[in-house]
Amino acid sequence: MTIDIQSNDFIALADIALAKPDLQHAIGSGTREAYAKRLATMFAHSDEHGEHMRQMAAEAKRRALRNLPDLLETAEVNLRANGWQVEWAEDADQANQLVLDIAARHGVRTVTKAKSMLTEELGLNHVMEAAGLRVVETDLGEYIIQLNNETPSHIVGPALHMTKAEIRDVFIRELNMEPTDEAEEMVAFARKMLRRDFLNADMGISGGNFLIAETGSIGLVMNEGNGRMCTSLPRVHIALVGIEKIVETVEDYASLTQVLPSSSTGQKLTVYTNILNGPGRAEEGDGPEHSIVILVDNGRSEIYGTDYAEALACIRCGACQNACPVYRSTGGHAYGWVYGGPIGAVLTPLFVGLENAQPLPHASSLCGSCKQVCPVDIDLPRMLLDLRWELVRDGHSKIGWDAAMKMWAVGMTSPKRFALGGKAARAGQHIMGDYLPGILGNWTKHRDFPDFAPKSFRQLWKERSNART
Amino acid sequence: MPARDRILSRLRSAQAPFGDLQPPDERRAMLPLPEMDADERLAHFTSEAEQLGCAIYHADANEAIEQIMDLLNGDRRVLSWADDHLPLDGLQDMLAQLGVTVAEPNDGDVRVGITGVAAALAATGSLVLESGAGRPRSASLLPDRHIALMTADQLHTDLENWQAAQKADGYPAFRRTSNTVIVTGPSKTADIGHELVKGAHGPRELHILILRS
Repeated sequence: MTIDIQSNDFIALADIALAKPDLQHAIGSGTREAYAKRLATMFAHSDEHGEHMRQMAAEAKRRALRNLPDLLETAEVNLRANGWQVEWAEDADQANQLVLDIAARHGVRTVTKAKSMLTEELGLNHVMEAAGLRVVETDLGEYIIQLNNETPSHIVGPALHMTKAEIRDVFIRELNMEPTDEAEEMVAFARKMLRRDFLNADMGISGGNFLIAETGSIGLVMNEGNGRMCTSLPRVHIALVGIEKIVETVEDYASLTQVLPSSSTGQKLTVYTNILNGPGRAEEGDGPEHSIVILVDNGRSEIYGTDYAEALACIRCGACQNACPVYRSTGGHAYGWVYGGPIGAVLTPLFVGLENAQPLPHASSLCGSCKQVCPVDIDLPRMLLDLRWELVRDGHSKIGWDAAMKMWAVGMTSPKRFALGGKAARAGQHIMGDYLPGILGNWTKHRDFPDFAPKSFRQLWKERSNART
Repeated sequence: MPARDRILSRLRSAQAPFGDLQPPDERRAMLPLPEMDADERLAHFTSEAEQLGCAIYHADANEAIEQIMDLLNGDRRVLSWADDHLPLDGLQDMLAQLGVTVAEPNDGDVRVGITGVAAALAATGSLVLESGAGRPRSASLLPDRHIALMTADQLHTDLENWQAAQKADGYPAFRRTSNTVIVTGPSKTADIGHELVKGAHGPRELHILILRS
């Protein structure tokens, strides 16, 4: 593992985040806005239809994962037929070495990169830079945090935690931008700065949102167009794709590539729904000469046979982060590794070891929002509970208890958050009925879980006061 | 043993997760729309594309040339697809006569790009562009202003509908074409202070000319 794991410091990191009003404001407004847009788009037709599509997407991902080894072999054959070179990497070291070898073989000096959470996992940028390559992140949010020497705090919005003023200051400090407070001018400035790199880069690196086994295609979603630049203009393109990104058919892809942005930013489709089918063909004016897919395991095959396999269904939309009362307060950096929020609280212990991420299973109020908003219906609360059980079994309960108390305290620090927790509980119960997930399920199997009051004491008190005045 | 075989053997030796799931017998479209005739489909496409900030024009061949010259706004260089991929015969000759030259695909300073489309999607106001000889990707990517030429009969109802047509043809947009991109509005970002700004890296303007047949 090439990047620092600070997940055992969750409580201290959360304290730092909670003490920053600007960060609180940025994360709060960013997540709430995305949450509202998701609701409006996913359920625009009807609640029943939105839920149906969610279940269809959930099944498509699970069906693909069930047949994962066979579909990977099918994908490999079809990728090759499309002109891709296919490489496999078991871990970060192998993946990074493959990238360095490809770069060396093609005389690469400058690399433009589209957003990829997998490459964060691999610590790829550090490895490339250490080898003397110039690496430019080109998603605007990634560009900003690269300049500021940070890591992404959100799966979809890497710089979600930063205010406009902070970003302005980074551009002025690092790039001598003429001072401005206009977002439009800052975007135009970054566009100009990055344009040169897009045109001069020798190699582009992207991730892959979907790997379509049926045709050997890689589906990428993006709004800015930087991912099109990275995959079209340089001579060499490498797509690093986690083995769990597989989908069986184009039909499945067509559903999933719509459910993803609907859940993420509330867009029906991203501006660019990009389908990559290997190198530029003969007589084509642009497109890479060499297209390479690196299929990366990096711990996924170890999760595959466990009770946590459904975490592999994640399509990285960020909806659970936007919905989570803990993430909304602490932001992503507090989770201490690559992925924050509910999915991060599950994935991090699975990838880096529970002993290195002990507080994370407790970094949740178990309100159920994360499962409710997940486009592929991942039962995150159930897995968080199972991880808590493992913590106790392995004698790590003390740190978990501290984290749980911390989360309770976060909930109590402001009346607004306290109210939010209550609302979330009632909303969650509305969806889940009297069923409780995971190990608590045994308790509710023979009992009804008591209703959360439809109106809280706070609401009743307010109504009473209003009625009096 | 190579990495590939070790990964596959680890997966095969594990208990495969989830039950045996079959593909659904019936698939719903993500965005259910009522039955529409051609005019209604065009109206829906127009409304969706305009909401995304696209400009839509209906034009015959002569009006289209005029419109393109207006949008060039005095510029004398364009990135463009070749004539046989545009629904407007003789555009290149016409441009040449008017003193406009077509730049190389990797020219990052050209301000206007002209493309055709392979299909368009009414439900989302999207354009489907397939790359290939005479169809550089950069024409819809590098310039500030993208002009897309299409005809109304290229409209599909939605992504599922286009996918079904693709399937019937053996998925050419996923196999024979190196890059297919579904463009839904102008390039944009919300990475700075969560404010929506158009023209992040791709075109900040998308002009769609629908040619009357």
